[in-house]
Amino acid sequence: MRITTFLTCGTVALSLAGSAAFAGTSYPLTIENCGQSVTFEAAPARAVALGQNSAEIMLLLGLKDRMAASAFWPNEVLPELAEANRAVEVISVEFPTLEAVLSHQPDFVAAMLTTLLGPDSKVAKRADFADLGIPTYLSPSACATTLDAGDAYGSRGDLWSMDQLYQEIEELARIFDVTARGQEVIADFKAREAALRAQFAQDEDLTFLFWFSSPSPADDAYLGGGNGPSGYIADVLGGRNAIQTEADWPALGWEGIMAADPTVMVVAQVDRNRWDLDRAQSKIDFLTSDPTVSQMQAVQAGRIVVMSGAAMNPSIRTLYGAEEVAAQLEALDLP
Amino acid sequence: MTHDDDTEGGRFRLALVLTLSLIVLVFAVAAATAIGDYRIGLRTVFLSVTNELGLTEAAIAPIEQSVVWNLRLSRALVAALAGAGLALCGAILQALLRNALAEPFVLGVSAGASTGAVCVIVLGIGAGGLSLSLGAFAGAFAAFALVALLSNGATSGPNHTILAGVAASQLFNALTSYIVTTSGNAQQARDVMFWLLGSFGGVRWPDVQLLLLVVVTGLAICIWMGRALDAFTFGDEDAAALGVPVARIRLILFAVTALLTATIVSMVGAIGFVGLVVPHAARYVVGPLHLRLLPACTVVGAVFMVIADIVSRVITAQQTVPIGVVTALVGVPFFAIILYRARPQA
Repeated sequence: MRITTFLTCGTVALSLAGSAAFAGTSYPLTIENCGQSVTFEAAPARAVALGQNSAEIMLLLGLKDRMAASAFWPNEVLPELAEANRAVEVISVEFPTLEAVLSHQPDFVAAMLTTLLGPDSKVAKRADFADLGIPTYLSPSACATTLDAGDAYGSRGDLWSMDQLYQEIEELARIFDVTARGQEVIADFKAREAALRAQFAQDEDLTFLFWFSSPSPADDAYLGGGNGPSGYIADVLGGRNAIQTEADWPALGWEGIMAADPTVMVVAQVDRNRWDLDRAQSKIDFLTSDPTVSQMQAVQAGRIVVMSGAAMNPSIRTLYGAEEVAAQLEALDLP
Repeated sequence: MTHDDDTEGGRFRLALVLTLSLIVLVFAVAAATAIGDYRIGLRTVFLSVTNELGLTEAAIAPIEQSVVWNLRLSRALVAALAGAGLALCGAILQALLRNALAEPFVLGVSAGASTGAVCVIVLGIGAGGLSLSLGAFAGAFAAFALVALLSNGATSGPNHTILAGVAASQLFNALTSYIVTTSGNAQQARDVMFWLLGSFGGVRWPDVQLLLLVVVTGLAICIWMGRALDAFTFGDEDAAALGVPVARIRLILFAVTALLTATIVSMVGAIGFVGLVVPHAARYVVGPLHLRLLPACTVVGAVFMVIADIVSRVITAQQTVPIGVVTALVGVPFFAIILYRARPQA
């Protein structure tokens, strides 16, 4: 008994020394994911990423050569990942078919939403892959919805944080046996978050309004709600969301927006091209030309900043969005 | 086109339509099983099916055999059964309500299903234990119950029922919008819409078994009441005068159509036009007598839906497209022809 303990300690010490503080993954690896045990016999070599966030995390982990395909891209890929992403086939920017996913002979499938992989999904159930011996992974942010349906996703009592994303990055890194790289990414994200917090002191009067899109100028605008990723971005930058709803995506008329009277207008660039106001430039044109809306203090003082719409979904893009806004804030004349 | 009785010609025409349609159906299901995003040779497709049936033991990659058997064949059979069920419902409702525009969703069933699905997704009613399908099914039946209540049970006239259906649809659509706008978010609204628009993507073998049971039972009950349905064509009073228990038959048949539609909607979403168009088409060929019309509708509806599903998969490779888009694209021109041919003769 004592010898075994001694040996184990020795092995741990050796592997710690060998891999710069992070042990390599030993297979078979079993992880608990969204209420299921998933076992990996080896590191995946032909992974399919269902959903932009899953794909971008894999690309960040440097796994492009081990990805067979990806699907469901509501936005353009992160510019610094575009080069790597060109090596990975995109099945569809919309919901793919299960057959198309299987035709890539995946040995691992990771998904971002329960509509892409889950009991009620029209694309695939986890059992569809499990029956063929293909392990699956569902984003912890997504399965919070099924465990506590509605509340965890539809509205939030507490401010969203990056913690579930860090868990996802850490677990994916372990699955692919790139733990060190995973810790690098997480450490990098945490450092960047801390840098932003250090850069912007808390300011009670600083409010941000996050405008995602509108079907037309006359319609209510879709906004980033109080405790969602938009609220997180506002918090990191020392302010708060001008919209204090618990719903993640409230719709509000312009009178209500003018009443909220934000210090800074954040206009999203949404790449899907469904409505004209998806484009950031169309939003700016409307804000500056409408006789009533243009009277808002943020517009009058030219405090309009552009941010990728992807940042308003709970994803790695949220941090990039905060940085995008931060860079423009410096050039602004804040009151 | 003649409204003939049980003549030799009528029976021959029915036999011809049924035989031809069944042959086409077999070929359509075979084609649906052979076509797909995953390139699989015809020989492998054939051997996959015979392997699963225990006729052969050919060595085939498990992934390919699974695609053919678990994805394609089950999907083709659900499409056929859903088409059959919706067409049957359409024929029944057109007779009961004496309205050429009646179709399964006239009873507010699809709006009710939306509300049920939204309650599960957005409000989290049932919190994971209740599946989306069950929520949709409950919603669909709630809508039907409301329509039955609004139209005074089964005693009032057909127009009353249609108005009650419109009112129920409005109410449930309003409820859905209210829930989505007040407590939902963009992603969830999108999820619900995707789920409701109609798709055969998620179906598997257990769905085939359930739907087969429901459709066969429904068809049997309807055919059993076929002669009574003919009497409804002349109006409730005349039917009653002919000794038909109007109220009871109407209630039973409404319940059958509600059960069929709710099952189909909760499984594959709301698919329009099949229930409207197929009965009219079948009526042109086999005449209005229900003992002929109902079997013809069932088979023609099945063929229509399997072909529509093949089209929906071929026009956009690798992604799921709402099947309702295709049925409407095919259905609307067809409907225009019916309207044109049914115009009053000058």
